[in-house]
This record gives sequence, structure tokens and C-alpha cells, in this order.
Amino acid sequence: MSANRASRREFLRLTSALSFAGSIGGPLGLNLAAIGSAAAQSAPPTDYRALVCVFLFGGNDTANMVLPTDADSWARYQSARNQGASPIALMAPGTPPDATAPGGTPAALGGVLPIVPKTSQPWPAGTVPSGTARTFALHPQLPSLQSLFASGQLAILANVGTLIAPTTKAQYTAKQATLPRSLFSHNDQQSEWQAGAAEGARIGWGGQFADALLGANSNPIFTAISTSGNAVMLAGQNTLQYQVAANGAIGINGIAGTSLFGAATGPATLNAVITAPGGASLFQSDYSAVVNRSISAAATLNQALAPITITAPTQYTNPVSGALANNPLAIQLQTVSRIIAANQALGARRQVFFVSIGGFDTHASQNAVQPILMAQIDHGLNYFYSTLTSLSLQNSVTAFTMSEFARTFTTNGLGTDHAWGSHHMILGGAVKGGDIYNQFPTVGVDLASTGFNNPDAIGSGDLIPTVAVDQYAATLGSWFGASPTVLSAIFPNLVNFSTSNLGFV
Amino acid sequence: MHMRAVRSAIVAGFVATVSLWVSGCGDQASNTPSSPPTGTSKPTAAESARFLTQSSFGPTDTSIASVMTVDYQGWIANQLVASPSAVHRTYIDLREQQINGADATKHVTQDQFFESFWRQAASGPDELRQRVALALSQIFVISLQDANVGKYIRGLADYYDTLTAGAFGNYRTLLEKVTLHPQMGLYLTSLANQKENAATGLLPDENYAREVMQLFSIGLYQLNSDGSVQTDAGGNPIPTYTHDDIAGLAKVLTGMSWYATTPNATTFFGGAADPNRDWMPMSFYPQYHSISAKTFLGTTIPAAAVPDIAGDLKIALDTIFNHPNVGPFIATRLIQQLTTSNPSPAYVQRVAAAFNNNGAGVRGDLGATVKAVLLDPEARAAVGASANFGKLREPVLRLANWMRAFGASSQAQTVNGPGGAGFLIYNTDDPGTRLGQTAMRSPTVFNFWRPGYAPPSTGLASAGLVAPEFQIVNEVEVAGYLNFMQGVIGRGVGYVVAPATTPDIVSSYANETTLAPNPPDLVARINTVLMYGQMSNGLQQQINAATSTIAIPSGSGVTAAQVQAALARRVQLAVFLTMASPEYLVQR
Repeated sequence: MSANRASRREFLRLTSALSFAGSIGGPLGLNLAAIGSAAAQSAPPTDYRALVCVFLFGGNDTANMVLPTDADSWARYQSARNQGASPIALMAPGTPPDATAPGGTPAALGGVLPIVPKTSQPWPAGTVPSGTARTFALHPQLPSLQSLFASGQLAILANVGTLIAPTTKAQYTAKQATLPRSLFSHNDQQSEWQAGAAEGARIGWGGQFADALLGANSNPIFTAISTSGNAVMLAGQNTLQYQVAANGAIGINGIAGTSLFGAATGPATLNAVITAPGGASLFQSDYSAVVNRSISAAATLNQALAPITITAPTQYTNPVSGALANNPLAIQLQTVSRIIAANQALGARRQVFFVSIGGFDTHASQNAVQPILMAQIDHGLNYFYSTLTSLSLQNSVTAFTMSEFARTFTTNGLGTDHAWGSHHMILGGAVKGGDIYNQFPTVGVDLASTGFNNPDAIGSGDLIPTVAVDQYAATLGSWFGASPTVLSAIFPNLVNFSTSNLGFV
Repeated sequence: MHMRAVRSAIVAGFVATVSLWVSGCGDQASNTPSSPPTGTSKPTAAESARFLTQSSFGPTDTSIASVMTVDYQGWIANQLVASPSAVHRTYIDLREQQINGADATKHVTQDQFFESFWRQAASGPDELRQRVALALSQIFVISLQDANVGKYIRGLADYYDTLTAGAFGNYRTLLEKVTLHPQMGLYLTSLANQKENAATGLLPDENYAREVMQLFSIGLYQLNSDGSVQTDAGGNPIPTYTHDDIAGLAKVLTGMSWYATTPNATTFFGGAADPNRDWMPMSFYPQYHSISAKTFLGTTIPAAAVPDIAGDLKIALDTIFNHPNVGPFIATRLIQQLTTSNPSPAYVQRVAAAFNNNGAGVRGDLGATVKAVLLDPEARAAVGASANFGKLREPVLRLANWMRAFGASSQAQTVNGPGGAGFLIYNTDDPGTRLGQTAMRSPTVFNFWRPGYAPPSTGLASAGLVAPEFQIVNEVEVAGYLNFMQGVIGRGVGYVVAPATTPDIVSSYANETTLAPNPPDLVARINTVLMYGQMSNGLQQQINAATSTIAIPSGSGVTAAQVQAALARRVQLAVFLTMASPEYLVQR
């Protein structure tokens, strides 16, 4: 039986299996199962595509990552953030770094890095126009991303967040908006971003994309892969996420040798003991199932990875200490690159990856922390794109950032608190980069003393998102190969919004 | 010993002897589960070992004998009145003197906290207190993974001492101590939190205000007394707080910062550091405390002319403490930490009732709450009375189980004496090569795992059950654990520090080596100390068979050392096969 015929048969079997799924999980789970196989998905793809989710845990302060630099916005940015014990307002474009200033401070970092979107951004209500077009910049530690934006491989999505339906400031303030549960709560918003429901959701949209295209892969185990722990993002109805360590799959030493503690039958006994199915409780059988998967996947994966050589990432420069250090994001992306490079040996056509770094919850010490994280993102994503290019796979892979929320426009003196609408980045050869998608909002916090009222923000200058995570995800899903029917089933709230495809890829 | 006699008895068909053997080795089929044994019916060795699995870092011969003698209540009573056996902060001071004394450029690192933690875990007699302290550290989370907390090893050690000392005291007292501890102030950024400034738009940091409600006391949703979530007419859960409550509470949590004998603006912002500021409770700085009206959880502190941090804090903590959610919230957390991931609502209700009133009219008695968790009929019911009662053992406890069961000792401690350094060990974070968990190194304030976690696409999830500890279980972690424990069991664990040539923490397996000539005896012992007699017949046979293939050399030319080495390998294999098995890994 040829590989193609086998995969098509497996494809149909798996998609039809979706029709009996139970009621586990949040809103993402039910509808996909209900629609059945034939209508659900078109013919299996023959090319290779991979999505790589880069999750920034803690809530990234995107007000310091993508900044409007027009006069009006910049003035409000400075007045809100250039205060307190440790001011976090970055310097104007063109400001040279001050080598005498303490590492990580705005003076030490130097000015923000200008970017010029191909499409002129309209001026939002509340912002006084100046110059010929609204201008923007990136955090000073993002020079590679500045280049990738200019050369068209990086796109920015402005003001995206968790939404049930379009929400205005008036509705929010009058408490008439239907909102996602537990806005501003880390664990719940992480779950909302990954799975469309608060903590407790069992199915994520990455896993659902994998469900829809599982049959495209000869080895379904290598469809949804994480390098940083269990993530609901990758959990599907039929898709099981697979964990891999930085250097590949971890083999179990005790079953591999010819003896164990001097017993020739030791390895076989160990194998039997650890993979024993059933047992007195579900805890036992569910645990041994993971061990079984670990063993069978490790052999296949390590064999497929053996001939692959990927240049390891360099160290990055920590902008606070000035020292070189290993970049945990780049290290994960190296592992991802190796697996992507082995796609043919693994029989993989569609894969969803999850990598992450943490530390973004900068309530305090923002200057000591955020610059380091920006540097890691810049160095890591640049390394990833270069590596993909060397494999000639840059058009087949789309990486994108996510974070549970952005942060308050105001400072508490040392840092920022939880907010809502945020800006994110999408990187890849297929990305229609060099542009900012969605209207970039008015920035600033309402101040009784000046009478300023920001129509786009509530509370401490927290942006109300005008594009939903659902739309962000559906755009990625569409490129990945999920059909419109599948996408509306995964994202039932998508119909509430004006478009299901934001057009950035 | 008795096993051989019993086998022949079974062959002879004496049913009475069979049932004696069965109950002696832990099958509680004949025990009534409805209440703890009374009168002359003391717990068996197996029942005691199971109880100690729930209430300590693992059974030992000594602790098993103790429970068998004084019963569960007696053992708990002894433990409740025993003071903490060691003060981690004292150990850190000692090690700082040694390390900094030897080299003025060096200071203690996190490793020194691990030394203290594992020394107590391996041998401290205050076993219940330590187990509860570990549980509390997973509720009132701070972590050495935080860059700020990570600078203050002694401060963190004192925080752990605070949880340890408060393990059986009152929850209200502990909540206050946690709130005022500088390490919590650093971790959840309430330290140096300033009042609002309407002119500039500066608002107080909301971090601690949010998490103290969400994670330390009342949770996100209104609860019934049995821990179930209340719902409104539309079937939706009812939030306990809104963002307004957080903002109001955040204003209370202003004006606290580093301890100083004379608090002033300099010390508020971190200057003129007092040498003990890393562990002394935060000082109050009225000039930075909000005086505007503060409303939260239905309570309003009116605007004041004069800042009153102590008064405002008392109102805030009392308000939180008296919220009806706290009983069921803490009850569920402690039950999940100690005995089972899926308590029945009735179990939660009974434990919450003990929290609400310890029997002497006192609310918040943690000792009474812990006692209720352990003595509850659901916890003391026979193994298997409820098919999915129990939980996955957490990795740190598996290593602790090994240390206690097999009398692990530190080679360095032996050389340095009781007043010196010992238990020289690293963090065990890496899931690929170690345990995927280290005490006091949670990745975030949300702990290593969430209370409501259910692993996707599993039997547990289909059955509507949760399994928090499964949140770190994956293809990497299961393999890393096995590889790590193979090394631990075979060679020991920790740093190799001269003059030793093996990892610092080792077991001589003294009690097990003497049984190794007859594998069934060896397996029976391991079954008692590690699995309270629950090892299935099938697993016993597998371990016996494999162990028996390790020949014990004999005859001329064979040295005693060679014999000992072979016996040792039998023990290591039997212990490893046991600790590798899903049967061991699940505490039932």
C-alpha cells in the first residue's frame, strides 16, 4: 500500500472519528465533532506546513514593544510612563544608547527603532494627526525584527485580545458587554487565548487544527509538539500533544541495555512493568499510557532526527548585564527546526508547535526584565527564520506570538499591571509582512486633570481589543489548511466579527 | 519470614491463616471503613504505612511502629505539639559563615536551601509538620525561580520556616505573616507599593491583591460548603470579586516595604539596607499609604485624614478570612495535597466544617483541619473502597519516600557532623534528567499544577476526574524520572564532593540487603515501606523473577565484597522496579 493511499484512508478514518466525540472541553470542542467528516475537511494536503506558537507567559507589555511615535501619542506615552521610582518610558527614535546609564534603563537602551508599515495607518479618534502618516517603532532590543519587518517577512497585528463580540468602551463601562470570563487573570486568559475558555478547558485550537489535518501525517503522534510542557493549546479531541526536550526525545535507559543492575532480564522486566496497561485505578492506566507513548515515539523521532544537522544558536547578549547567555527561546526553536527538517522522514505534512518563554509579568522591575525578554525574542526569532531559510522551508512555516494580555499603560512606579488588548507578531516566508494589520489604537490613560478620554481604552489605559483572538487564530488556521467550515466550528464566535481572515498570511 | 509459613498454610488450605496473611500484608478487605479503629484494634503495619504515605514524606520502620502503637489520633496528637525540628534560616546563616568565611567573594546559593530542605525531609521527626509545610508552599506560593526572591536565600528559608511554624496554627495568623513577609512582598510585588496619584494617573500595583484572593483564600467563584461552585439562575458560576475589588484591596496594600529600624524614604526604596531586611516582616511607611476610601468584598474603609496601615490591613485580612469560601477552598487544597485528587463533596464539607469551627469555636485552626483531612472516613477507608480514590505521587515526594524508606544519609554530614553542611544536592527541575519539580521552585505563583487539571484524552478526563499532578506528566518527564531514579537508587543522589567518590546522599540498604538472599522477603519489605502492602501479585512475581536472576556468587575465591555487591544489585533492581511501576506511582 503506497504511503499516499494509506494516509488518505487514515485521514478519512480519523476525520470520521470526530463525529462521536463526547462533551469534554469548552466551546471549541463540541461543534467540530457535530459536523462529521465529509463536510468537515477538504482533501488531505500534499505540501508541508507548520504553525509555531511562541507563547509569552505573564502578559507582555506590548506598549513598550510596538509604539506609535506620532507627536500626540508620544507625549501621552511619556507623561504616563516617564514617572515613578523606575521610569519605563523608552527614548525617542534616534536617541543613542547611553553607556553610562544602568543596564536595562531606557537611557541605556537608546531610542525605539522606527518601522514604516506599507499601508498607511488611519488616524484613530482621540489621536491628533501630525506629519504625513502615523509613525511607529519597535522596542530598542528588536533590531532583527525591525529588519524582518522592512524586508516583508514580519507582520504586526495590532490590538488583538480575547473577545466574545466587538465591544465598545461605552458597553464595557456600562457593564453591558458580554466578556470572556476572568479578564486580567493569568491562568484564565492563558486558557482563553489557547482554548477559547477559562482555565479548565480541555481542548485548544492548535489541537483542533491538528485534529482536522491529523490524517495528513503518517505518524499522528508528531502532529502537535511542545518543547515547554503541557499546553491546552495543543490538546485536541483526537490529537495528543507530544513533549520533546531540547535535545530530542528522551530514551529510557533501563530498557535499552542488555542488563539492568546485572540482571539480563532486567530491561525486559522494566519495560513490562512501566508499560503495564490497566491497573486498579485510572491514574495507573493513564500514566502507563504516557510511558508507552514516550517509548514508541522516542525510537521513531530519534531515528528521524539522527541525520539532521542544524546549526546551534549563538548566545545572545543580555542587555542588562552585558553578558552573553544561552537563549531559552532559541534553544527550543532549534529543536523545532530539527523536527521540521525531518518532516519527510516522519511522514509529517501538518504540524503545530508550541514553544514559550516566561517572565513577562513585570509588575515591578520592568526595566530589569523586559529588555532581556525582548532580546530573547529578537535573537530567537531571527535565528529561527535564518535556520528555516537555510532549509529552504521558510515559506512552509509561520511563527506567531501570543500572550495572555498586555499591560497597563500607566506605571505603578516600578512596572505595570494586567491589561487586555495587545500587539503580536507573525513571522514567515508566507507572511505578507512589513505591515500593521488592524487599526492601531489611540494610546493613553483617561486623566481628569487634562480631560483626556481615550475612546479605545478603559481603566489604566488598558486597550479594548478590536480584533479577537478567534480572528487571529482563524487566519492562521486558514493558511494551515483548515476549511472555513472547520474554522467556524472551532470558533463559534467568529460570526460575531466582520472578518474571519485578517489577511496577514 | 511469615510469608514462607503462610505459603505452606495456604497449600494446606487453612482459610483463617490466609485471611491473617492477607490482613497482615495490607489487604483491608475485612476492615470496616466507617470510622478509625478504636479500643484494642490498632492499625496494622500496612494501614500505618498507608497513613504515613498521606501524612509524611514517607513511612519508616520507626514511624510505622509508632502509628501501630499509638494509633492515628495518637500519632497526629504527638505531631501537632512537636515544634519544628530545625530552622532553615539558622542553617543558611551557618552555611553563609562557612562559605563566605572560606572565600569572601562567595555567598550561599539556592543549593544551601536544598541542603536544609532535604536534610529535614530525610530525617526530621516533625514529619506531619513538614508534609503540611510543603503543601502550604504549594498554596502560598513564592519561588526561587523569581529573579528577586532568588537573591535572598536566607529570606526564602525564613519564609519556609514561617509556613512550617504556622502549619498547625491559625490560618488568619499565617495569612498575615505571609502578607508581611518581604519575600512574598518581592514575589508578588507588594513591597514598596505606592498609593495612587490622581494627577499623574499612577495606580497601586494590583498583583498581591489579586492573587491573595484568587490563590490563597477565596478563589474565583462562590463556593458551597462542600466545595462545589455556586451558579446563578443561568447556570453560570458567580465570581467572588471584580476588578473593582482588586483595585480597592490594592490601595490597602500600599506603604509596606523593607524592614528598617527607622523607616524613611531611603529605606522604602531599598537604600540603607538593614542586614535582616530579607526576612524581618515589612515595615510600615504611612507616607506612601493610600488614605482614600477603599472598597472591596463588600467592605468599605472610609477615607481617612491619617494613614493607618495596621488598621486597614486588619480590616482587609479579616474580611478575606471571614469569607465563607475560605473553608471549602482550603479544605479542597489540603485534601488534594495529602490524600486524594477527587474528594467527595461530603469529604470537603466535613473538612471545611473543621476549618470553620475546630470544635472549640475557633475558625481557621489548621491543625484541626489537617487532622480532619487525615482521619476522615474517606481517607481511612480501605484501599479500593473507591476505585479512583488517591492521586499521583508528586516527584519530590517520590525522592523523599526513597530517602526515608531506606534510611538515606549524607556522606558530607557524616564527615562534617550534625552542625555542618550536608545533603549536598542541586535543584531537581529538569524533567528530562531529574524530577521536573523542586520544592520552592514553582514556575509561577500558580504552582506546579492547577487544582482542576485533567489530562486531555484520558480515562480520568472521560470519567470527569481531575489529576493535578498529571500536569507535569508527559513523554519527557516520565522518561526523565526513570533515568534519574535509576541513578539515585543505584548510586545515590546529589553532588559528588571529595573525599566521597559517589553522590552525597546514599543508602546502605542495610535492612534490605539481609533479605536479598530470598527475593520474596526482599519484595515483601519493599512492598511494606513503599507501597503499604498494595503491590499486586503480578508485580511481585515480576520483581521476584528478575531479582532472582542476579546470581549470588559462592565457592572458593569469592570474596565477601563480591557477595555484598550481588546482594546490593538485587536490592537496587527490586527497589527500582517498584519505584518505576505505575502501581507505586499512584498513591491510593
